[in-house]
Amino acid sequence: MEDRLYDLIFICRPDTPEAEIDKLIATLQHSVDEKQAKLEKIEKWGVRRLAYRVHKLRDGFFVYMLLRSSHGELLKELERRLHVSDAVIKYMTIRLDQEIKRQQKLSKRRERRAARRPRKTATPAATPAPEQAAANG
Amino acid sequence: MPDETPAAPQQQAPPAHSSHPAGPRPSGPGGARPGGPRRGKRNFVRKKKVCRFCVEKIDLIDYKKPEILQPFVQERGKILPRRMTGTCARHQRWLTVAIKRAQNIALLPFASEL
Repeated sequence: MEDRLYDLIFICRPDTPEAEIDKLIATLQHSVDEKQAKLEKIEKWGVRRLAYRVHKLRDGFFVYMLLRSSHGELLKELERRLHVSDAVIKYMTIRLDQEIKRQQKLSKRRERRAARRPRKTATPAATPAPEQAAANG
Repeated sequence: MPDETPAAPQQQAPPAHSSHPAGPRPSGPGGARPGGPRRGKRNFVRKKKVCRFCVEKIDLIDYKKPEILQPFVQERGKILPRRMTGTCARHQRWLTVAIKRAQNIALLPFASEL
């Protein structure tokens, strides 16, 4: 099966110590490795303001991951872990590969059209000839 | 291809003010409407709105950047319609998806509280 690309974002409580978050990331990493998937990117966005209150909290520590996997069960497993963890207040996974494919297709088409355009504009617009009217009158 | 030919040179009235049409205007880009029913009212030409994502050639609207999505959301969190923002149909479709994703991960409000 073709590899799929996923975004995984989770939000921890702002008062959790950094070490605990690192530990959580390590456990996720471990289960990712177990399924022969690849963790392509990990970003800690740090404490950010939430757009609305979650669990009566106004801020949250955001962690973003990009992973490539061919196992759907891996995502289930990761989500279960995040759900069980006390520090995590919100998480979301999104499948990205289809959208990226679509984007590539579109940008390719745009390039092709851009390459074709100069020739099109070079040809002058055809001027209507008033021969018919002159012949009749 | 916006063919916007300014009708100012045909006007023989005060040359200094062409930006503020107060009196009866020459038949503008609308075409053949002599006088017309709208004579007395203020008559302004609306500028054609263009899709920002088409102009900037963005094919993938990133839900992780709320600052991109912010101008397409009302103060209280509603998604603005196409007719307000000028976004093309295709990009509006992706935009709504991106906004809804951002809402789910608390980057954008569903409805901001007052």
